[in-house]
Formats: sequence, C-alpha cells, structure tokens
Amino acid sequence: MPVIPALLAHPGTPVPAAELQRRLLAGETLLADSADHLLQVVDVLASYGEVLDAYSRNLIYQAEAQFLNPFPVLRFLDGDPSPARIWRHLLHDRINFEYAEYCMKAMLWHGTGGLDAYLDSPEFLDGCATIIARKRRRDPLLALLNPLFPGFLPELIRTAATTHALGQFWRVMSDLFRDLAIAEHEGRVQSIADVVGFLRDGLVAAAGLPITYSVEIAGERCWVLPPEAGLTFLVDVAVPYVEAVFLRGTPFLGTVSFNAQAGQIPVDQSRFAYGALYADPLPTMGAGIPPSLLMQDMYRHLPERLHGWYRRRGRGEGDVRVKICMSFQKAMFCVTNAAIAGTLPETPDERAAYAGAWAERLAIARTDCLAAEQDRPRPSVG
Amino acid sequence: MTLSLLLLIPALGALLLLLLPAGLPPQRGRVFTLVVLALQLMWSLRVLLAFDPTQGGLQLQESVTWVGLIGLDYRLGIDGLSLPLVLLNSALTLVAALCTRDLSQRPRLYFALLMLISAAVNGAFLADNLLLFFLFYELELIPLWLLIAVWGGAGRAVAATKFLIFTAVSGFLILGSFLGLAFTTGSVDFSISPLLAGSLPLASQLTLLLPLLIGFGIKIPLVPFHTWLPDAHTQASTPVSVLLAGVLLKLGTYGLLRFGLGLFPEAWAVLAPWLAGWAALSVLYGSLAAIAQRDMKRMVAFSSVGHMGYVLLAAAAATPISLLGAVFQMVSHGVISALLFLLVGIVYRKTGTRDLEVLRGLLNPERGLPYTGTLMILGVMASAGLPGMAGFISEFLIFRGSITPFPVATLVSMVGSALTAVYFLLLVNRAFFGRLAITPPQDARLDALLDVRLAPVALRETVPATALAIAVVAIGLLPAGLGHLSEAASQVMALDLLPGGAG
Amino acid sequence: MSPSPPLVAQLVWLLPLYGFSGMLLSLPWASGLIKREGPRPAAYLNLIVTLVAVLHGSLLLREVLLHGALHIDFPWFQAADLDLRIGFDLSVTNLAALEFVTGMSLLGQVFALGYLDKEWSLARFYALVGFFEGAMAGVVLSSNLFLSFFLLEMLTLSTYLLVGFWYAQPLVVTAARDAFLTKRVGDVMLLMGLVGLSAAAGSLEFDDLYAWGGSLERAGAVGTLAPTLLGLGLIAGPMGKCAQFPMHLWLDEAMEGPNPASILRNSAVVTCGALVLLKVMPLLRISPLALVVLVVVGAVSALGGALVALAQVDLKRAFSYGTTSYLGLVFLAIALQQPAVALLLLFAHGLAKALIFMSVGSIIATTNCQDITELGGLAGRMPATTSAYLVAAAGLTGLLPLGCFWCFTPLVQAFMASQPLLAFVVLLTNGLTAVNLVRVYRQVFLDQPHPKTRRTPEVNWLMALPMVSLTVVVLLTPAVFARLALLPGLDALDPLAAALVLASGAGGVAVGLMLPLQRFSARSAQPTLRWFQDLLANDFYTAQLYRNTIVAFVAAVAQTVERFDQVVVSGLARRLGTASLASAESLRFGVSGQLQSYVLTAVVALVLLLSGLVWIHG
Repeated sequence: MPVIPALLAHPGTPVPAAELQRRLLAGETLLADSADHLLQVVDVLASYGEVLDAYSRNLIYQAEAQFLNPFPVLRFLDGDPSPARIWRHLLHDRINFEYAEYCMKAMLWHGTGGLDAYLDSPEFLDGCATIIARKRRRDPLLALLNPLFPGFLPELIRTAATTHALGQFWRVMSDLFRDLAIAEHEGRVQSIADVVGFLRDGLVAAAGLPITYSVEIAGERCWVLPPEAGLTFLVDVAVPYVEAVFLRGTPFLGTVSFNAQAGQIPVDQSRFAYGALYADPLPTMGAGIPPSLLMQDMYRHLPERLHGWYRRRGRGEGDVRVKICMSFQKAMFCVTNAAIAGTLPETPDERAAYAGAWAERLAIARTDCLAAEQDRPRPSVG
Repeated sequence: MTLSLLLLIPALGALLLLLLPAGLPPQRGRVFTLVVLALQLMWSLRVLLAFDPTQGGLQLQESVTWVGLIGLDYRLGIDGLSLPLVLLNSALTLVAALCTRDLSQRPRLYFALLMLISAAVNGAFLADNLLLFFLFYELELIPLWLLIAVWGGAGRAVAATKFLIFTAVSGFLILGSFLGLAFTTGSVDFSISPLLAGSLPLASQLTLLLPLLIGFGIKIPLVPFHTWLPDAHTQASTPVSVLLAGVLLKLGTYGLLRFGLGLFPEAWAVLAPWLAGWAALSVLYGSLAAIAQRDMKRMVAFSSVGHMGYVLLAAAAATPISLLGAVFQMVSHGVISALLFLLVGIVYRKTGTRDLEVLRGLLNPERGLPYTGTLMILGVMASAGLPGMAGFISEFLIFRGSITPFPVATLVSMVGSALTAVYFLLLVNRAFFGRLAITPPQDARLDALLDVRLAPVALRETVPATALAIAVVAIGLLPAGLGHLSEAASQVMALDLLPGGAG
Repeated sequence: MSPSPPLVAQLVWLLPLYGFSGMLLSLPWASGLIKREGPRPAAYLNLIVTLVAVLHGSLLLREVLLHGALHIDFPWFQAADLDLRIGFDLSVTNLAALEFVTGMSLLGQVFALGYLDKEWSLARFYALVGFFEGAMAGVVLSSNLFLSFFLLEMLTLSTYLLVGFWYAQPLVVTAARDAFLTKRVGDVMLLMGLVGLSAAAGSLEFDDLYAWGGSLERAGAVGTLAPTLLGLGLIAGPMGKCAQFPMHLWLDEAMEGPNPASILRNSAVVTCGALVLLKVMPLLRISPLALVVLVVVGAVSALGGALVALAQVDLKRAFSYGTTSYLGLVFLAIALQQPAVALLLLFAHGLAKALIFMSVGSIIATTNCQDITELGGLAGRMPATTSAYLVAAAGLTGLLPLGCFWCFTPLVQAFMASQPLLAFVVLLTNGLTAVNLVRVYRQVFLDQPHPKTRRTPEVNWLMALPMVSLTVVVLLTPAVFARLALLPGLDALDPLAAALVLASGAGGVAVGLMLPLQRFSARSAQPTLRWFQDLLANDFYTAQLYRNTIVAFVAAVAQTVERFDQVVVSGLARRLGTASLASAESLRFGVSGQLQSYVLTAVVALVLLLSGLVWIHG
C-alpha cells in the first residue's frame, strides 16, 4: 500500500492573539480540556517535579558548598563522593544538572526583575566586598586575581546568588507539581481548568515567600541576598524566570546560526523568542538542542501511566522524548496560564490590557499545541 | 559439478518453488528462497576456497557436449574476473530477497524469478562458450522484465517495454557478432579463444567488435544507450533495482572485458583511444545529468552510468593495473549502488517520496531515519571515492592504470569523480540535513509548526544495508584479498598497448 | 640491517588507531544503543585514548631524540608494479607535529566537555573528533604520498561531518557541503598529481620521489608540461586544506560548526595540510610554475586574509581569516625553500590560534553572541578568557618575543635581500594582524558592557583549565623552540629585520588603538570607505563570485545535459522504438501483451540463430 507523504505531515494551526486574549479574560484555559491533555499535563508535571527536586537540591548545594570553588569537579555529587555515586556519575547514569545550570545562566544573562536589580545595588556590592575580603585571606589565587580583575569575583557571586534563588524557586515548584499529581490521583483535579486553578492557587500562596541566601566563610555567615533586601518569590524570581526561560530563552546552536553577518539573532534581548513556549519540539534529542537534557531526565522519571500512553502512540518508545517535549510544552502553557491568572489586575481596563499584552507575546509561541488532538492512526511498521 | 551447482542450486530452487502447492503462505516462499540463496552463497564461498588465484586462465572447468551441430557446448570455467562477480551475484541476490517485503501479488512467481535470474547470471559469468553465454544472457532478461513489469511502480509498463527493447537489441547485436565470428572464421566451435579471431584481418575484427561494443554498451549502459536505465530503476521495486544495478549491469562490463577485449585484442588496441574518450564522455555525462535530478533514485541511476564508465576506461587502457581496477570497480559499484538503492528504498517506503525538493531533515534522531541517514552518508562517500571505502581503491587503480596510455581521458574521468561528490552531497544535505519535513519548503515558521510522523525503521529492515556497508568498508580498508584473487587474471588479459612505456 | 626498532616504534601504527578507536568506542552512545544513560562516557573514553596517544608519542619522541630517526612500514596493497604501503617516518619534526596534533586534540576535547556541556549528541561529536585526530596523527607521520592523501581525504570527510554536526541548522546545511566540495576540488587535483606521480615515478615514498625529482632535474626535464602539471596538482590539495585564496571560502563557512572543532581546524588541521606541502617541497623544484603559483597564492592569501579579517564583525570569522593569512606566509616560506621557518611558523601560529579560539569559545558560551559590535567590557570580569586572548594576540604578532616574532624575523631576514616585496608582505601582514587583534580587543574586552555582556561570569573550569594551560604553553613557546634547537639564536638574528618586525607590529597596534569602534554593525558614512568596507566584509564577494561562475556553470551544464537527455536521447530512443518494433503504444496493453511481443522477438531470434548456424555448417 502506498505511503502518501501528505498524510505523514501535519501542519500546526496557531491560535490568533485575539482568541488567546478572549480565553484569558473569560477565565477559560489556554489549553483545551480533554482527558488526554489532563493525563499528559499531570503526569509530565509529576515527572518534572521529580527532576526539579533534584535540580533544586543541587543548585542549593552548589551555591552553598561550592561557593567560589575554582575547580568544582564534584559539584554534581551533592556532597556524596562515594565510589558508587562517582561510578554512576562517570557512566552518566544521573540527572543532567547541566540543564539546571543552563536555566540559571539564561536567567542571569537576561537579567530582568527584582533579583537582577538587587545584584547591581550598592548593598550587594558591599556584601561582595565583605565576602571577598574574608575569602582572599585564605585563598591566594583569589587574592591575586581580584585586584587585576575587579569584576571577576562579584560576577561569580551574582552567579551563585542566581543559582541559589533558582534553587529556592524550583523547590516550591517541585512540591507544587508533585502535589498536583497527588491531587489528581485523589480526584480533586479532574480537568485542565482544575490544573490551572491548582497551579494558580499554589503560586499565589507562595508569592510572598522571602528569597534569601547566605554563605559560610571560615565559620562566619555572610549574607549575599539578605532578608532586608525584601526579595520575594513571585515578583523577584518567578516572573524573571518565566521571562528568561519560558519566553526569551537563548538560541539553540542546533537550529540558529550565531554568524553575526547572517543576523539571525536579534540585537535586542527582549525580542528573543527561543523559550520553552516557543521551541520546536521535533528536533528534540538532536544535536545542539539543550532541552534534550531535560527531556531525558523526565524520561527517566516518567510515571508508568503516561509512559504506557506514549508507547501506544507514534513510534512508541522510539520517539518518546519528542512526545514528552510536546506534552511538556502543553504543561508549560498551563503553568503560564496559571501565572497570568494569578497576576491579573483588578480593573477591567487593566485586565484587558494585561491579557492583551500576554496574548500578543504568546501568539507567536507554539500555540498549535493548545487544541485537543485527534488520535491519528499509528504508522505501520513496514 | 562444482561450478554447475552454482547454476543448479538457484534454478532447481526456482523450479521447486513453482511446484510447491499453491496454498503456501507467502512468508514460507520467502524463507524457502532465502535458504536456497544462502546455500548458493555458501557454495560460491566453497568455489572461492577451491580457486587457485595464482593461475590466470579458466579453472575448475566442466565440459559436456550439448548441441554439437551448432557448437553449443555446455562448458563452464571460472577465473579471477568471473569469480568476484559470481560472489557478488550470490550475495546481492540474497540481499534482494531479504529486502523484499509486503509483496501484494504472486509472491511465489516473484521469488522464483529472482532465483532464476541468479542462476542465469551465474551461467553467463561462468560460460566458456559464446552461445552458452548468449543463452544465459537472454535467459536473465525475461524474468527481470517481468519483475519490473509486474511488481514495478505506476509507470512500469513503459519502462519495462523500454528495458525490453533496448536489451533485446543488445542481445541481437551480441548474437550477430558471435555469429559473424563463426561465419568469417568458418568455425562453429564457439569456445572463447582469442586465437580464433587472431587469424582474421583487422577490418573484419573491427566489424565484429563494433556490434559487440554497442551491444554491451547498451547493457552497461554507456551514453547514449543509457536511457532505459533511469526509467527502469525509477519504476522497479527496491530489490529489483538492487539486482539491476548491483549485478545485471556487470554482465555488460564483463562481456566487454571477456569478449571485446578477450576475442579481438588487435581491434581493441586500435579502438582503445576512442573507447577511452567514450568512457570519459559517459562519466561526465552521467555525473552532470545526475546533478540535475530531483528523484533520488534517478540520481543514483545516473551515477551508475557515470561509474560504469570507469570500467570502460579501464578496459580501454587494458593494463594489468587498470584491469584489476575494473574488477574492483565492478565489485565496489555493485556493492555501493546496491547499498544506495536499498537506502533510497527505505526512505521511499517510510516517506512515500523520493523527491529531493520535498525531503528534508531525515537525520532527526527520534522522528526521522537517523540510521538510514548515517548509512547513506557512508554510501555516498564511498561512491564519491573517499578513501577507506571500496570506491577509492577501485578508482585509484583504474586511474593509475589508465593515466599512462590515456592521460586526458583519465583526467576528465577524475573530474567526473569530483562531480560525484557534488550530486551526492546535494542529495544528503537536502534530504537529511535541516529541519525534518516531507513537504515543499515554505516559510520557516510554518515549517517549524509541522508535525511529521514517519513509521519507524525496524532493525530487520536495515540488516541488509548494514551488511553491505560493512562490505564497502572492508573492501576499502583491506583490498589485498580481492586484489590477490584477480591479479593473475588481469595480467593475462592485459594488452601491451604502449610498448614504449610511459607517455 | 640495523637491529629491530624498539617496541614503541614497532607499535607506531597504533598512533592513528588511537583516534580511530575513540570513534569506535563512542559508537554505543552515538548510535543511541544506550538510551537511559547519557553520552558522557564516550567523551571520557576518547580523552583516555587521546592521552595514551600523547604519551605514546612522547615516548617515541624521546626515543628518536636519543637514537635518531626511524622508518617503519607495512605492505597494504600490491599488484603488478604498484606497491602501496602504510609507512611512517619517525623523525623529530614529524613527532613534534604529532605531539602538537594530539596535544591540541586533548586540550580541545577537555574544552569541548565544558563548551558542549548541554549537548546531547556529545558522543557523536567525540566520535568525529577521534576520527579527526586519528587522520591527523597519520598524516603527520606518513612517509609516503599515498598514505598522506588517503588520510587527507579522511580529514576532508571528518571536516564535513564536524561542520555538519548541527545538521538541523539552516546555514550548516550549505556550509558543510561547501566545505567538503572546496576541499574535494583540491583533493581531486592532488589525486591527479598522485596518480600521475605514481605512474611516472613508480614509488610514492617521499624519499623515492625526491630522488626521482632529482633525476628529472639532472635530465633537464624541469618545467616541461608533465612535471609542471604534477607540481600544480601537488600544491592544490594543501591549498584547499590550508584555506588559501581562492579556495579559502570553506573556512569562513566552517565556522558554523562547534567551536571546539574550530579550535582544531584553525590550528591542527591547517597545519596538517601545510605539513604535507612541506613534505613535497623538495619535489616542487620540478615545477617552477607551481613555485610561482605558491608565491602568488601565499602572498595574496596573507594580505587578503589579513584585510578581510579587519572588516569582519563576527568573532570567529575575524580570526579564521587570520588563519588563511598566516598559512599564506607559510606557503611563502615553503615556496622560497625555508622549511625550518615554515615549520616554526606553523607551530607558533597553531598554538596561538588555538588559544585565541578557546578565548572566543568562552566568550560565545558566556554571551550567546558572536557579533563583536554587541560585545564589550569583558576584561575586568573574565580573567582566564582575557589573559588567553592577550597572550594569544601577543603570540600571533611580531611585537613581543613570543612565538611569531621568532618566525617573522628570520622570514623577513631571508626575503629582505632577494625578495624585498615579499618581506614587505610579511611585515604588512604582521601589521594588519596586529590592527585586527587590537581592534577586536578594544571592542570586546574594553569599552562599556553592553546588554549582552552585562552579566558575564568566567566560564566553567572545564573550559578555563585547558585555556590557562595553553596560555602557559604559548608563553613558553620560545623556550620550547630553543629546547628543540629550532631557533636560530639571538646573535643570528639580523637587527634590522627584527626592528622592522617590531616596528610593523607596533604600528599595527597603534593603528588598532586609533580605529573608531563599530557599534551595531554600523557602516561607514563615507561612500568610498563604505564600498571598501563592504568589499572586505563580504570577503571580496568570493562567495557570490563562485555562485555566479563555477556553481552557475556546473548547474547550467547539468541542466543542459538533463534536457538533452530528456529531449534528444530519450526522444530518439522513443522514435526508434516506435519505428522499428511494434509501437510502444501497442505494447502498453499490459503484461500479457508484452509477453507476446517478447516471445515473438525470441522466436525470431531463435529462427535467425538456427538458420544462420545451419547455413554456416552446411
């Protein structure tokens, strides 16, 4: 029987901005409600929650225990240098913490929001000066480099601060996503609207959590992000995170040319559209696609229910990580949806403007994944 | 009986398969064929072990007088020229049977014809009698034509007819030449002996050689007699293309070497410069035409035209090294083109198209055909003559052997070798690089929204291609074995075209 | 015969195999056979085999320094008068080159572990680098032209695969193809030379070829058609490999590949190409034309490359053109029979260029940006990157007594009397390079931080460590040269030549300091200057030139052939078919109809056959 190419390729249909705005204002979910969607979103977030748990622990460990270590060879071992752990690490039988660092770097580099503003404040620089002064007493390398390159250590401390803040953020998100899975299991969450509502409530509840960070140097505690700075979960970390990772992202070497003369990358970072909501899931696991690391990590923590669902679709186990990426994108739209819902202003005019601005940005994202999918026949193995 | 079994195993296999009860499940017929063809391959290896590579002439000869009246004796023999081709035939027929899947109609007939072709081709390579050769040469024609006409693509009728007419003309010309030889020498002893023609005046030799050249030129094929080949390939199914490119074209080059060069050495020496020019033209023409193709299969078919031209160049030069190169090129082209056709076949089966303007990004690791793509890169690189693979040593030997007698034709042919890289890189970079899609390119954003769901390639589908790829690399890295096998024969066949030596 | 060579020498065949084995060892991960675990073990295995290669190489080097050079070969293929061998010349030069190549590979691989830390196809990358390294190790040791060619072609293949590493990226699709084809053109010309030489000289061992060339010289056959063509063929391969004008285009496009591969390509690979040229140098005397071409190509590449580099806004391309430029100088040195200086320059350039590409890599990794007009102010925050850049720049310029100063001075000294123009080319190249290095330094490291360089922490230790190590090596280059007795010594240096080199370098630095900085790809407002700037920025429009000439020509001829094939050949066949046999239309009845016609044909044939034979017999 002949294979018809047109049947194997499905063009995606993006959702226009006006429709997105309507859904946001009407309180409808961006993602269409269907049983398949619920299954995918809940289970992929459950596995994401497991992965974020590991990421979060490691980032916090790195920021606290590997602070200003020039050769952090064992930084992915979470302070457990047992031979078994090292062996597994060498076999690459582990979580890809590199992806957590990648998100941290994106957040640091894009530098938006309250945390970033604090990193340029005089109070922060004072804190740095104290830390450096203490540190250089017992570290000759730093003592030599600091006067020659005065920006070097503060920049590393900013990195550590962002690392720790992201670790704290993911701590909350990890718990939230795992709670969602439990809630769905107990029947408290039964639709996509429930999912968005659950996530919104979780975010709103965590909004005011303080973000602080201190390191211990020679037995003394030094504040990097002191409580006085007043940094909080939602506005100072979550919003910049969404901006840096969900929306802007960084260009993938595997799909975008960095050649300056080709001009493929915008000069203005705010025009970047490489984030999780924009990325093309099909090249996942190909060369130069960093989220492949995350997909692999989630693949290793996939709930059996979703895994079985994947096995029955497409190439089964063969393209499971692309399918994870597609489900993940749907889930991230739900999270974004919840974040928007949680931050909607009060007055109708402001609401319309706020939702309109979001709809404008999301209209060029992968909104084709929002519609409920019809089950297509699985291509035969010929 | 050693050599006869090479014919008998597949021929009896075909007969048995046809005699088996009709209600047999199709899968059983395939397994039976695989067993028979595996036996044939094993027996070919047995012949290889019995073969004495130090001898240049025919060995393991068998002779039975058959139709004495017309000089049609059943005489078989094997030498360093035919042995590699017999091995190639056995291996590639097995590959063709292996990669046959989803036969919708008359599987028994199909497999029987496949075995029949293998028997006939073996017969042609082994025949030590002109008429016997002709008989086998014609015998292979009908089944192949049926394979294209019955199991081919949508335009199979025209392509099969074209194939039939061209090859029939080829047969007539060859037969004419053989008969003419008998007529002019007055002998009906159709044994292959240059002494026979040696007694003829040069003019008669030339008159007899010309139809032979055109006859085999059609089969090889050489420009301008090639036009049946791309059509036949595009319409034939993958296994038939594998056989056609891998084995059947070799009948043409084999005939050219065995009969053209072997029977009429003096006339050959006279025509050699023209043949070298013809070869260069064929190489360039095939390569340039390949560049312009959109259909992957047509591109590979035209590349065959170009690459078989090298064999004519080598035959024209007729030095020991160039002739050894010719044997190498026949084997490596057989293996490489079979590999390429297999891979194109997999692409076609999964995507439903071979159009290079449509296929993109097939290297995609999860949704594409990454393993097929990897083997494709290996295959095209081998075809382009990259060292470490079979194509390089073959081309090197041919060029090295031909440059002294025919420097210009050799250099032009080397340009053709460079052009191979051009069209095959176009193929790989278009179809396998980039973002996965099987639709014509459009706006980049729309392309990125495309969801592509190709059926996975099962492991068993890639086994034949993997085996061929290993063979390509093995011949390329360790060519000494094949060289050892054929060196003596190529010494014997070589002409001393330029007594003066270096030119 | 001398006693059998020591074991390390007997096992010399392992040296290229280390790299190749790295490729094989990576396969389980690269092929996706291992799915649950990540690809890093492939990287570690490759690092281990490369380390073994470095150690084996240094043992051999010690052996050769103590007991003199060795030649070891193995038969590969013999037929008639053809004898192709796998031969290795274990000389100090070759082994130093081997250490350079494997050492670079080792550093590059460690760097890649950091640079590609979020790359899932890591195993494939390491497999390709292993392949790359194996081929390079073989090329530098090879004692005959056949093996050299064999491995150069493998380098071409691995370049294609490495440039094509990010195969889904749109510009990579064309870049990989062009890189392969440009090199392939050079390779095929080299193959023509190789085939010709093999037929003419019999053996392809370099020593035999030198002897053959000598006999040709004695016979007065120098400069006749055949030797001239052979010479041209021999230089074409290295021209392609070393990215010389007019075959330099691929290096620009190859910058689409991963940066760790660019490190190797700009240092080790071009060096391999030049080493092959160095090995055939004594043979080039048979072809005076080839030597002239070499001088012209070298001079044009040196100046052209340096000029084009000045107008590049892309960080990688600003230095890749410098590679073309420096290899041009190497070509000049080889053309004028200065092998020692050529070799020094190769090593000095290779080390410094690798270092500068490491620095570039860490900038790209930190800023996600290659456009120098969008960068700025990195100096205070990235110590390893900044010092690497500064040391590499110093090593590349004839200003401080680092590597290249010790190469330029003898080069100028050698050219000054006989070829003052070429001495000027060397000085100008030095000056222009200095301008470029200072220009980029000011733009990227000084100046105010820009949005994309606002947050730039130093790179991770896996990148910093090889970078710092190589910084130290570049600083020590003169000492290493002196240790290997490659340097002429201070007293042998002509003060005038040294002064000129210093002056040209200082002049370049001064000009570089005064140039206005570009921001956001600004073009000059002045029309003439702008025209000139565009000309250089677009590499003299070479890509367009090729597209409109060679590419267009081949495409047009191919289309013509195709149309001819469709209309004339196919059409003629159709008409002949219609006329002679039953028309194709009537044959279209389907299988049964065709079968009938075939049976008819066969019967006619049989009747003809039998009657003919009976007639003859009767």
